[in-house]
Amino acid sequence: MEITDLELVGKARKGNSSAFHTLLDRHAAYLFSVAVSMVGSIADAEDVVQETLLGAFRGLRGFEGRSSVKTWLTSILIRQTAMRHRSLGRKQAASLESVAEVESGPSAAPRTEATDTRLDLMAAIRQLSPDHREVIVLRELSGLSYEEMAEALGVPRGTIESRLFRARRELQDRLHDYLV
Amino acid sequence: MNECKQAERLGAYHDGELSGAARAEMERHLRQCPSCAAELARLGRLSELFRAAAPKLSPAALRRFHDGIDTIPMADLRRVAEVVGAIAASILLVCSIWLVKGRPAIDVIPVWETVAVARQEMPTAAPEEELGQWMVQDLSGKNAND
Repeated sequence: MEITDLELVGKARKGNSSAFHTLLDRHAAYLFSVAVSMVGSIADAEDVVQETLLGAFRGLRGFEGRSSVKTWLTSILIRQTAMRHRSLGRKQAASLESVAEVESGPSAAPRTEATDTRLDLMAAIRQLSPDHREVIVLRELSGLSYEEMAEALGVPRGTIESRLFRARRELQDRLHDYLV
Repeated sequence: MNECKQAERLGAYHDGELSGAARAEMERHLRQCPSCAAELARLGRLSELFRAAAPKLSPAALRRFHDGIDTIPMADLRRVAEVVGAIAASILLVCSIWLVKGRPAIDVIPVWETVAVARQEMPTAAPEEELGQWMVQDLSGKNAND
């Protein structure tokens, strides 16, 4: 039977760093995808995830187990993203083209329809308000429940549902051609 | 845009967040409301867009994350050493200031002591000695007249 996230946290607290590395392997990809959607650039997203993981490692003793490890990591990621936005003076992050650069190295194929779709989706996400962007990215990329999202964001469950409704209405409007 | 009042709960239904009774009610509604049924389909395609567009973490970035965790103990040790050094320097500074400003002035002699020493340094002749001198002088003068 696979060891649970909570068991890995318990081991990591006792100094077993390989347990934390296992947690990292489980959650880094999800944290990264959320971070990219929230900060808009690959480089910034990697920085945010790095800071999130370092903060989680240092704060292992503060994890009380009242939420899942995934929710806990998500909370840290959200705080790191907010700190980054404040330090940048809420300026827009680097160009969305940086997202396409991930798949466009020297040996990559020419820009595809999939790349265009991704860019259009990212552009639409970036036009959402921060509150709406948070909930739609968390819901669609993390699979967190409404209760977990409410805990991660520190808002009531009803607020999560209403924000998701408005975010989805906006995205339906902006991405109409992709949704028919 | 879908004006149906039930549309506000479509997202929760799509996300599997409605309880049994609420879910059953929504399913009945969807059978009767083409607008909500169409919007539910759009929500499904939107989720597919997100899944397909989710950026992938590169192996190099994943390695950097692992390396970052491995360097934490040394970075933390350096930070602790800096803090301890700053505290030690602060304590040394405070003690130095206390020693300089707080020492008693041992070279200052109390006034009463000065006066007492000054009186001792100015001895006068004893009264008996003065009287003896007068008597000798006086007796010398009477013998001369007899």
